[in-house]
Amino acid sequence: MTKQRRILLVEPDSIIGTALKTALEGAGFKVTHVLTAQEAVIEADAKTPDLVILELQLVSHSGIEFLCEFRSYSDWDQIPVVIYSSVPPTEFGASREGIAMELGVVKYLYKATASLSDLIGVVKERFSNSTKLDTYAAAKK
Amino acid sequence: MTNSVLLPLGSKLSQQLLLSVAEQIKLPLIQIARQAELGSLGLTTDLRQIRTLADNGLKLIDSYALGLQLANQHSYELAPEAVSVSSILYEADQQLRELARLYNVSLELNIHGRYEPVMAHRQGLQAAIIGLASALIEALPAQNKGQQTTLQLATHRCRYGIVAGVYANIPTLSSDTLKRGRKLYGMSRQPLVEVSHTSAAGIFVADAIFRAMKLKLHVSRHHRLYGLGVVLQPSSQLALV
Repeated sequence: MTKQRRILLVEPDSIIGTALKTALEGAGFKVTHVLTAQEAVIEADAKTPDLVILELQLVSHSGIEFLCEFRSYSDWDQIPVVIYSSVPPTEFGASREGIAMELGVVKYLYKATASLSDLIGVVKERFSNSTKLDTYAAAKK
Repeated sequence: MTNSVLLPLGSKLSQQLLLSVAEQIKLPLIQIARQAELGSLGLTTDLRQIRTLADNGLKLIDSYALGLQLANQHSYELAPEAVSVSSILYEADQQLRELARLYNVSLELNIHGRYEPVMAHRQGLQAAIIGLASALIEALPAQNKGQQTTLQLATHRCRYGIVAGVYANIPTLSSDTLKRGRKLYGMSRQPLVEVSHTSAAGIFVADAIFRAMKLKLHVSRHHRLYGLGVVLQPSSQLALV
């Protein structure tokens, strides 16, 4: 029996969060939805996720701030992170790839254009390739 | 005279408000799009939820338009009338029930006590209260740390007049945060980052409507609750009756 992959979903809007959780659970993943960066750290500490899906616009903290904190713990520094955000990726300009590489972001999806199917596709692809070294780990070596 | 002369549409303030609303309106549109997509994945799409979310987005756009109209006093006379605050809050409560339910926010109406009518623009006051409350309904669940979120639409008397406002059981925002947010909205995606993950456009639209009505939105308290309110002047004419 294959292990059910655990996803930590950090999404401050409870309605969007519920829709994402429903869709991802329908695709066979185990999803824990949290609304804040603080809850995400507590949840990750309790049960290490296999992947994190993150909105960058959080209350009190930015998602980037959360990622820096998250990556500062050695236990979590190779957990892949998918950004699913209402902040358009163009906002980061040329620095986007550098930030993504530095913080171990495997994919940046813009909420306004990326559907649930796109998100599920990225997550499935990530898990199917999980035997390979991830971008972040490769970059660190 | 053309509208562009009358309306401060080109002004920095209006552009900031428009940007804030444009940013905010993405939220219900994304919510609707993702909810609708559940059906295509073989899951259940909640049509009632979609309708509520669409209504909420439309209300924000209407309030924005009203705010601009009220600001343009040359073509749109601000017509204060004697208004019952209780009836305004009751109507807002009715319109927000479904949105509050979706966000698992317990919406309460606190209009106990007899208050004389106040002088206000009825439509403006109602749109502003609904804008404030819906912004807080969307924002509060991400701050409640596991406790049940309560939002009250309430009125009380203070030494300056009668206060109408929205109040939560979570410390929402300080005067400094609101002041900073006023400077940042339209320029920052999250001008009230301590409070909301969105642009909180409902708060700034309400602020604009109140300003057009020569009123000021304040950080305020109601019993043990925290929130935002506006001081309204009692209608002296009706008080004599």
